[in-house]
Amino acid sequence: MKALWLSACLAVCCLAPPLMRADAPKKDDGKKTEGTAYQVPYKLTEVKHVLIRAKINGKGPFNFILDTGAPSLFVSTKTCKKLGIEPDDKGWGTFDRFDIEGGLSIPKAKGRIDDPFQLEGMNSLGLAGAELHGVIGYNMLARYKLEFDFTKDKMTWTELDFKPKAPEGLGGKASSADMDAMASLVKVATMFLGKSKQPEPVGRGFLGLELVDDKDAIVVKSVLAEAPAAKAGLKAGDVVVNVKEKGIKKSDDLRKVTADMKAGDSIKLSIKRAGETKDITITAGEGL
Amino acid sequence: MKRSILCLVLMGWFVAAPVWAAPDLEKDAKPVAVPFELLKTGHMTISVKINGKGPYTVIFDTGAPVTLINNKVAKEAGLLKDAKKPAFSLFGAMGQTSIKTLELGDLKADDVNTIVMDHPTVEAISKALGPIEGIVGFPFFARYKMTINYKDKELTFVPNGYDPPDVMAAVTASIMGMMSEKNPKAKVLAPAAQWGFSAAKEEKDEDAGVVIKDVFADSAAGKAGLKAGDRLLTLDGRWTESLRDLYEAAGYVKAGTAAKVTILRDGKEKELTIKPGAGL
Repeated sequence: MKALWLSACLAVCCLAPPLMRADAPKKDDGKKTEGTAYQVPYKLTEVKHVLIRAKINGKGPFNFILDTGAPSLFVSTKTCKKLGIEPDDKGWGTFDRFDIEGGLSIPKAKGRIDDPFQLEGMNSLGLAGAELHGVIGYNMLARYKLEFDFTKDKMTWTELDFKPKAPEGLGGKASSADMDAMASLVKVATMFLGKSKQPEPVGRGFLGLELVDDKDAIVVKSVLAEAPAAKAGLKAGDVVVNVKEKGIKKSDDLRKVTADMKAGDSIKLSIKRAGETKDITITAGEGL
Repeated sequence: MKRSILCLVLMGWFVAAPVWAAPDLEKDAKPVAVPFELLKTGHMTISVKINGKGPYTVIFDTGAPVTLINNKVAKEAGLLKDAKKPAFSLFGAMGQTSIKTLELGDLKADDVNTIVMDHPTVEAISKALGPIEGIVGFPFFARYKMTINYKDKELTFVPNGYDPPDVMAAVTASIMGMMSEKNPKAKVLAPAAQWGFSAAKEEKDEDAGVVIKDVFADSAAGKAGLKAGDRLLTLDGRWTESLRDLYEAAGYVKAGTAAKVTILRDGKEKELTIKPGAGL
């Protein structure tokens, strides 16, 4: 089981297919200001794919894997159907406006309208944590100097004065029995190996308070007027006393113990004010 | 229990900001430049030495979570000795092993995880366009701040202190864990700082952004001029199409960092700068 999955995963994760025929887009007339650098936010998926988001003709955002192993931009047939974009007789689509998160806009982007089995496989295995709508490959990537640095939360794309040659197909030699076998394997494997659907994540609950450390004590530094902490009666200057049992030794630890607190959840704090001790229960609200 | 912790950690990998404190690296480490070739298919190839053997031509692939070497080269470079062969194998998969030294021009990386396998796509490209022996992917390039320049056909690398996790092990554990989990709980996305506003998005609302509900007057957002009714379009350069987007974006901005937000107010786009505070 594990081995089967491993093979499926490998098949899925590496290398989008080369184009089977040499059907290149004829012309690519994207205009651009040379040398502009864009900070492009990205996420690293569980399988360590770089995922970026793009809007097509103002719709979306859609999720794309950044893949130098793919010959071109691929957009899934389902996505294109939703957008009303039809492939030409050779399977290429023109995307009038392709906006990449971070402020980069590509007019008249060309891409394959297709569902590589790798993409389908990753979607049915639930490997990206979100639905994948396509792959950004060579024909789009090559117009930029791309900087990857996983110690930063954004990539840098700098426009190059460069028009990449259209990718060509491998020709008849490309179709191999093994490649077909791999596609079938992925389909079979994903039928019973998919992850259960994950519920939509929610935002943490909001308290509206700030704690600071004062020697050994944890003190309320501020409460936002009208916010849940203030409504519950917490005041700036209150000393929090019951927190050791909750594993809070420093004010910063409060962040850890409340990391999965949702709106509507309550937290009880015992506080000392003017020599008196009292319990205050704060019900988290919505916000950040 | 152990498994659910592992899952939590993995979930963390996915949503958390991929930002780690980089250890002290030589400040003036010069980028090492490595040329690449471009196949007519649009694939990049580089020339590598594996455990001193080679050079071999491999595909450089940012979309590959693993490094992958075919059986022929694995044998030549002595990679098969330590490989854990799986009980069931396809495409000559020999399991995972480690390349002691992977050399790419003047760049030398130690102990790079690799899979030994005859990948059908690699084989097909190899047959058509000359010998290609594998793929170099994430376990190698993630260790560097890397640039790709197709115009100059050049890659540059500077060590960045990032320690790439073992993707195959992590994912296998995650999948196995997820499958046994009947009713997975919703993840909670925690902002990294206190902004002082709440937002909403109706289900039918298909316009860009989320709608600001409440703004606390003496909060960072209130002081910066954010108002109830504004549509928040971006936060720190990230689209905020949904509440999930909003909380994910807020997860990247640390307290005390000035962040730009774009809002739509009275039909006009406007940019505000908010410096969220400590607190929650």
